[in-house]
Amino acid sequence: MLENTITVKNVSKKFRLYHEKRTTLYESITGSINRNPHYETLQVLDNISFNVKKGECLGIVGRNGSGKTTLLRILSRIYQPDDGSLETMGTVVPVLALGLGFHPELTAIKNIYQSSILLGISKKEIAERTEDIIKFAGLEKFADTKLKNFSSGMQMRLAFSVAVQVDPTVLLLDEVIAVGDLNFQKKCLDVMRDFKKRGKSIILVSHNPSDIELLCDRAMFVKDGHIEIIGKVPEVLDSYKKYMSTLEK
Amino acid sequence: MTTIREEMWKARGILFNFAITDLKIRYKNSVLGVLWSVVEPLLMLGVLFVVFSTMFKTEIDNFPIYLLLGLITYNFYKNGTNIALVSLSNRSSLITQIYFPRSIPAISSCITASIMLIVELAILGVFMVALEFTPPVTIVYLIPIYFLGFVFIIGLSLGLSVLNVKFKDIEFIWGIILHAGFFLTPIFYRFDFLPEYVQNILMLSPVVQLVTMTHHVVMYGTLPPINSILYTIGSIFVVLGIGYLIFRKYQARIVEEL
Repeated sequence: MLENTITVKNVSKKFRLYHEKRTTLYESITGSINRNPHYETLQVLDNISFNVKKGECLGIVGRNGSGKTTLLRILSRIYQPDDGSLETMGTVVPVLALGLGFHPELTAIKNIYQSSILLGISKKEIAERTEDIIKFAGLEKFADTKLKNFSSGMQMRLAFSVAVQVDPTVLLLDEVIAVGDLNFQKKCLDVMRDFKKRGKSIILVSHNPSDIELLCDRAMFVKDGHIEIIGKVPEVLDSYKKYMSTLEK
Repeated sequence: MTTIREEMWKARGILFNFAITDLKIRYKNSVLGVLWSVVEPLLMLGVLFVVFSTMFKTEIDNFPIYLLLGLITYNFYKNGTNIALVSLSNRSSLITQIYFPRSIPAISSCITASIMLIVELAILGVFMVALEFTPPVTIVYLIPIYFLGFVFIIGLSLGLSVLNVKFKDIEFIWGIILHAGFFLTPIFYRFDFLPEYVQNILMLSPVVQLVTMTHHVVMYGTLPPINSILYTIGSIFVVLGIGYLIFRKYQARIVEEL
């Protein structure tokens, strides 16, 4: 029996949707006198439970806004769940759609340092890996360029390379593969296969069913914050495709 | 327990990384670059020095040193809290993408301010040599005084960094408080020129206390009175406690507001 790297039990998360967001002190004072509700709550995640084993890749599909990214943020501890529990083993590194917290005013190298330090790598180790990261991302010419001059594809490539070199136990990928060019996509797939072989876990959010078919051992369809179906890849993708086609009509 | 230890271990590297990036980004796109961190305070102190020493008649001995010392001490609080104030709100992309303890930006701002303090104190040293001012031995007590100041700024910074994400007005209110504080602190005047009841009110401020303490140990070669020391330590830890409580109340959900 393989160990679980991620165990999620009954996780729920609500967000407040402010109709007119109160961000100043005056507004919140006048607002507390005026008792009209100024926000409604949105149940982003509702009672989510699943687990991921060592060496396993779980694919997540769902419409935009169904709670996939929120789930990844909870797994990487950026958000705290309102209810439920979460256990993770080792390091969890998220590569969310916007990168890895890069600072636009810092160069690629400086950003590699900052992100890696935040992910728990020592300065010495980073120094050893910087060259590999830059090389893997194919950004040798741009090592000393500020991130604000990078295209979104280049930023994503850099983020993925850093995350891979950090060598986490669990890698969370949110719409990452689609951003790179074909050669980089191929490199990504190779790395992810290697990850699985070495007993690491991957959670892959993708709108591209063929990526999920290619890489994932199991899949999960998230619909309006709850798990509609979790299990074998073809069944889940079928259910997802059917659901999406009913929406079209 | 182990997770807290691990977090602090990780934090060690991040703290200094943030502190130094803060300084670098502050002077980005400038020709002089990080050199500005020396030139800027030098020019600022120079301007205030010229203004106050020529336009105001004063009976304070060694007024230039007195003035610079007050300015530098006050700048320490001003820089620390000003950087901390926006330390979370300016890092929204980072905070929504990677997890790290939310207290780190506030604490690293205090480290940035400390680096700036050291640079400014070096400038003060240059002025002392140029003006042939020999400081008394009690000047070594600046170290514990600034350490207390550091604790004070951490308390303020923890609270301010999360509050400014919740309420954007904090930034403006704090700017006004810092402005008022500059005139209410004995930086360019002597405290005992004020009426006694005003003194008694102002003495409640830890900043006034700390600035007065630096005058004691650098200008007069005396130690501050013991009840003043005790009050300062007490009030600073109260501020630290309140700052920490505010921080703890808001820190978990702050990322959702960014």
